[in-house]
Amino acid sequence: MTIVIDGRELQPPEPMERTLAALDKLGEGEDILLQLYCQPHPLFNILRNNGYTWTDNLLADGTREIRIRKSQA
Amino acid sequence: MHPNLSFEQAPPISVPYRFLLAAPWFGVLAGILLAWVGGDVLGSRWTPEALALVHLIAVGFMLQAMSGAMFQFIPVAVGGNVSRPLLVANVVQPLLLVAALLLVAGFLFGAPALLSAAVPLFLVGVGVFAVVVLLALWRTPATGMTIWTMRLALAGLVVTVLLGSLLAEALARGLALPLIPLTNIHLAWGLGAWALMLVAAVSYFVVPMFQLTHPYPLWFARGFGPFLMLLVLIWSGLWLREDTSLAQASGVLLATACAAFGGITLWLQYTRRRKIDDATSLNFRVAMIALLVFAVSAALMAVQPQWAEDPRATVWLGMLAFPGVFVSTISGMTYKITPFLNWLHLQRLGAPIAAVPNMKKMIPAEAMTGQFRLHVLALGLLLAAVWLPALTRPAGLAFAVSCAWLGVNVIRALQNYRRFRDQIRASVLHH
Ligand code: HEM
Repeated sequence: MTIVIDGRELQPPEPMERTLAALDKLGEGEDILLQLYCQPHPLFNILRNNGYTWTDNLLADGTREIRIRKSQA
Repeated sequence: MHPNLSFEQAPPISVPYRFLLAAPWFGVLAGILLAWVGGDVLGSRWTPEALALVHLIAVGFMLQAMSGAMFQFIPVAVGGNVSRPLLVANVVQPLLLVAALLLVAGFLFGAPALLSAAVPLFLVGVGVFAVVVLLALWRTPATGMTIWTMRLALAGLVVTVLLGSLLAEALARGLALPLIPLTNIHLAWGLGAWALMLVAAVSYFVVPMFQLTHPYPLWFARGFGPFLMLLVLIWSGLWLREDTSLAQASGVLLATACAAFGGITLWLQYTRRRKIDDATSLNFRVAMIALLVFAVSAALMAVQPQWAEDPRATVWLGMLAFPGVFVSTISGMTYKITPFLNWLHLQRLGAPIAAVPNMKKMIPAEAMTGQFRLHVLALGLLLAAVWLPALTRPAGLAFAVSCAWLGVNVIRALQNYRRFRDQIRASVLHH
């Protein structure tokens, strides 16, 4: 299952708060799709320090699609 | 696509805070100076008091706040790492604080020794800061116009300080240099290539993000910084050749560039995706209106030189630029940076997310909007005082109180950080 968080109309740090809340609930094999207009470097820091991986894809309209899952360590 | 990684944590919270805590009190000093001297102190740009006021804001308020904000902004916004941030801040901040006070005292008391003493401190302080930050900006894997424009702004800062140092030495030792052209070049680098450039770099990032506007048009974000730099270079070349009339004409182009930035930012705010009228958006709006009025006034003075003959006209421009554009944008940014800093560092304590207080709890909204209203009142009085000397004292007083309120709001944000941190630590211990 994919949890979608559209952070494009939200004021920071709300997208980050929602993402962190979603991480707590994330099960095996599930992922989070976060949509933003920027690269959330502080979130990347947190993900890296807590054993998550992500991909970051820039769409033509300026949206960044960030897919987050648990790393297969 | 390869993900962009930040390789280290953001600097300790004390690094940006120490600069943001210090900055507003230079504004308080400026206001007190104005209220103290009173009378016709704003009658000309060349009085010792006017030069002192300019630099209380430029190398006191602005340089402190802008360098502190960069320490924080670079890791968060562009994923770069300022190396040894604590050590760098420990060296740079005291140097800049003392240098600013010496320079201002040198102007105020006409003391060549103080002017000369400030120079090496500025050169070392800004030199170390610029090298460290440029390295961080160079090594970041991130790309984008914010980074490029920030690099230009740093170059602008370095040239401004070099020219300022040359001017200070010229005044202190009575060197035979063309002071007026050099001052005009110095101020264009300081206001344009450094300060406005940095505001643009930061705006590309924070205006869409925090004010929920559309992004700046790509052509604009790509072109504005380099174009501004080119115009400052042309302006400098023409003043060096002492080609006054052409230099003034190139001033019209500079004014147009300022107007374009102000106009586009106001347009983005007007067409924003969600209506947000917090203290940050309001401060930016006032700043951009001041920038437009500045641009129109400067263009009119270039086209109608008889209007520029009144020495007050230049002071009017300075009032629009310093308290109007830069104090407003910096106040607005401070009200985003400090709550965000708190939130980010509290987040790291390892408590459950729900335990970290909302960003809105860091500084009460009424305290920010109240201070903003007082700032607008002070700005109005300052602008009026340029033409009505009787208003100088109340204007200075209002500006001092407004800056003190800003300073108190930053202190309050830090106290709230400490309080929440202790609460979270206590609750983590209990579990
Ligand atoms: C970094 C930001 C700076 C900005 C934005 C800035 C801005 C200005 C402005 C607007 C003026 C013209 C003042 C007027 O017409 O009343 C000026 C003059 C001057 N500045 Fe700066 N300045 C900066 C840094 C410095 C530094 C670091 C120094 C010294 C080391 C310095 C030394 C001077 C001197 C000596 C003058 C007066 C020249 C004269 O009276 O002929 N400035 N500056």
